[in-house]
Amino acid sequence: MSAAVDTPFFYFPVARLLRIALTRFIVRRIFFALVLLAAVSLFTYLLFALLPTDPAALTCGKNCKPELIAANRVRLGYDKPIYEQYWQFVRGIFAGRTYGSGDIAFKCPAPSLGYSFNQHECVSTLIGKTFPVTAYLSLGSFVLWMLLGVGTGIIAALHRGKWQDRLTSLVTSIGVSLPTFYVGLLVLFSVVIWLQWLPFPHYASPTDNLHDFLTAMILPWITLAVLSAASYTRLTRNGVLEAMNEDFVRFGVAKGLKNRTVMRKYVLRAALIPIVTIAGLDFAALLGGAIVTESVFSLPGMGRLAIRSVTDSDLPVLVGTTLVAAVFIVMANAIVDIIYGVLDPRVRLK
Amino acid sequence: MKHRIIGVLGVALAASLVASACGSSSSSSSDTAASNDTVAAGAADTGTPTTGGTIHILSQLEQITHLDPQRNYTGSDLAFVGSTMQRALTSYAYASGTEGSKLVADLATDTGTPTEGGKVWSFTLRGGATYEDGSEVTCADIAYGVSRVFATDIIVDGPTYAITYLDIPKDADGNSNYPGPYKATADQQALFDKAVACSSDGKTITFNLNRVVADFNYTTTLLAFSPVPKAKDTGEKYDNAPVSSGPYKIKSYEPGKSLVLVRNDKWSKASDPVRHAYVDSYVYEFALDPAVIDERLMADAGDDQYAVSDAGLQPENLQTVFNDDKFKDRRQDSYDPYISFTAFNAKTVSCVEVRRAVYLGLDREALRTAGGGPYTGDFADGFIKPALADDYAPNKMPDGLNKDGTPNIEAAKAALDEAKTKCPDVYAKATGDGLKFFHPDTPTWQKNISIWIESMKAVGIVIKPTAVEPSKYYPTVQNDKTDYDIARGAWGPDWPNASTMIPELFLTSGGFNLTRNGDDPAYKQFETDTKAALNELDRTAQGTKWKALNQFLVNQLWSLPGTFLKAQDIWGSKVGNAYKWASSGSYLFGELYVKQ
Repeated sequence: MSAAVDTPFFYFPVARLLRIALTRFIVRRIFFALVLLAAVSLFTYLLFALLPTDPAALTCGKNCKPELIAANRVRLGYDKPIYEQYWQFVRGIFAGRTYGSGDIAFKCPAPSLGYSFNQHECVSTLIGKTFPVTAYLSLGSFVLWMLLGVGTGIIAALHRGKWQDRLTSLVTSIGVSLPTFYVGLLVLFSVVIWLQWLPFPHYASPTDNLHDFLTAMILPWITLAVLSAASYTRLTRNGVLEAMNEDFVRFGVAKGLKNRTVMRKYVLRAALIPIVTIAGLDFAALLGGAIVTESVFSLPGMGRLAIRSVTDSDLPVLVGTTLVAAVFIVMANAIVDIIYGVLDPRVRLK
Repeated sequence: MKHRIIGVLGVALAASLVASACGSSSSSSSDTAASNDTVAAGAADTGTPTTGGTIHILSQLEQITHLDPQRNYTGSDLAFVGSTMQRALTSYAYASGTEGSKLVADLATDTGTPTEGGKVWSFTLRGGATYEDGSEVTCADIAYGVSRVFATDIIVDGPTYAITYLDIPKDADGNSNYPGPYKATADQQALFDKAVACSSDGKTITFNLNRVVADFNYTTTLLAFSPVPKAKDTGEKYDNAPVSSGPYKIKSYEPGKSLVLVRNDKWSKASDPVRHAYVDSYVYEFALDPAVIDERLMADAGDDQYAVSDAGLQPENLQTVFNDDKFKDRRQDSYDPYISFTAFNAKTVSCVEVRRAVYLGLDREALRTAGGGPYTGDFADGFIKPALADDYAPNKMPDGLNKDGTPNIEAAKAALDEAKTKCPDVYAKATGDGLKFFHPDTPTWQKNISIWIESMKAVGIVIKPTAVEPSKYYPTVQNDKTDYDIARGAWGPDWPNASTMIPELFLTSGGFNLTRNGDDPAYKQFETDTKAALNELDRTAQGTKWKALNQFLVNQLWSLPGTFLKAQDIWGSKVGNAYKWASSGSYLFGELYVKQ
């Protein structure tokens, strides 16, 4: 096929074939993505059923008699076979679900991911409330860590073997090995509690109160960015050094191009391709919830919602948050695959 | 007050049990009571309160467990919601020390009138009480609130005393024939309306009970007896937005973030003899890391000067706070409501000499150390805590029991020798096949069980442990078919009367009797005496009966008294009235004030 691309005579039919192949490829990827999401939700249900914890017993109070546990099991819907529970869940996504009866009935409209009896709220509403927090956290820290990571990586590569490189190497080694929980608490204690440079963060939506939003976000952004940037510094440094040894870079230098031009147009373009790919996946994973950071800084995000659903054995929320996180991962994978497919026809034809 | 010892979460379960090393009092427990009952004598400032300001409550929880009054059943939540938003027929005095367990009237004009020996209770409403929308609290609203308790498919987690006590027929399985207001037919509703009746003028509510309940007016302090306007009831959803009848109402509630209460301008002090409502607002901050809470309270900066926490200090900060004088005016080491214990299955360990040998030979001090040391609590001398001042008296402990909690191997062996002749079967089991010990599979209990095995080995008793997944632990040991010989537990009273301790733990009809003592030769007399105490309307005479029964239980050792559990707290320097309320073991949030 690649030979055909080179032959102008066959240009139009080949382009059409290419478009068809690409469309098929994209359709195939989306189809597999949907199958994967269905599998993720099903496995979450099955795993939950295998857990030793009894969610009905967890909701039972002081006088925890077997009949009360049984009644709770019915109330929560865990008395039904797992396949039936799963079917109700799938149906709810398309048709919504109604809970209770008579005057006190209420509905979780489609796309319903269920209802949390622990939090008295539809799961989709809970996710709708918590996702923006996680998205702001992810976006802010992502921008910071890319600037920081790529910037320091380039500096280290340009000063290979000098003190700048060694310092960067030392700092990134520390950064990579530090746990988020520890750094988060340390930052919070020192900046907010001991030095009192900032008030204790109370998250507010940026549209409601920009000041509170920024004071609540700045420390989590920095914490996540500093720790994540460390590995990007290393990746960038290595990528830049590798690219600098490529023939096309030498060619650019031999042509008499300015160093800045060579770096920008030849070196960085080559070095950043794998970094952008990894960054995309990392960003997608972060959108699923930064559990530790959200917990330390008391941010009401999706990561904390997810971890709470685990400790509460709150199946609907657990499945909902897992599914949304999986959507981001699968979407990121699919987008990366598609981009690769567009860039490299060999991938398409496999 | 509810003390959910049966943890709703594994974490809660662990917390209640972890804190409790086993063991019992050695001492002539008067020492214990006098030196450690800081409920009455904390560092809390109880000076002249001032009005205004905002109190912050720092919490590691994601939300208030239940705001719905009929579902509210933890000590801290009852104290918070009860003192700010939900009134009930009766309450406890808003005071520090043992005065805080004194019964007083709230929505009623007095603490109730029993007739038929305590089988019928009537309360006259004082009138003038209103909800946050200005509408009047009526007798029908109180009855409706109580009726919600019966809807056990929706109103879960709350206390079920209404179902147990009210004179409404039950089916063969023991379930009430009244299914609650949401599903009841007219006939079923009539059953409830007969049991809970409002007078024609709407000023008196009468509860017809199926038995004599001498302290039913204590039961009515629970928010399960709070009013709910039927038109505003949203069932399951009511939990997030209940209608206030107290001095505060919800301004905003975002689980996982915060709950903000502001003054309810429709509340009238003239209608409320209990609450003072000093501050203008409360901000409950959720989902904080426990380490952050401690650090903020210790730093005492900004708004944190006006803050308390709804959980105790973390163990790693105890030394810092209690060894540094700068915290001396804002720290407290006090009893919480719980008592830990170790129950024997009296059917399989039917020999009191074997039970005594275990008690005498157990290294209770090692267990307490494993659980956190003296801050965990004091060795208990029975099953009534000193905070239940009307019912507590020091017990005489078994001869040979070391006061410091260390094992007395010789005395234990002597007791075991007695068992050899008096009850050879149980002796053979204890020293041969071994005693099956069920415990929750928590990190603390993985340590504790080793101490049990080793200290019993020194006596000559074999312990065979079975670790149970924490969430299943209590359902497992409460199942009659589970064949344990020894099981762990802890319990706190639902109200300041031993009626919610001794009968619950030791009558066969009790809610948490792990001893299976129904066939014990001593049981019949114990049951008769306990019922006599339950039926006693004179509070002083009732207290005397509980004291005697408490001593009987220490002699009988169906359960080994463990620890009078304690909690440690620190609060902001500008918080007044930060005492622990005797009736709940938590702060009386509604009485806190901001120091000028």
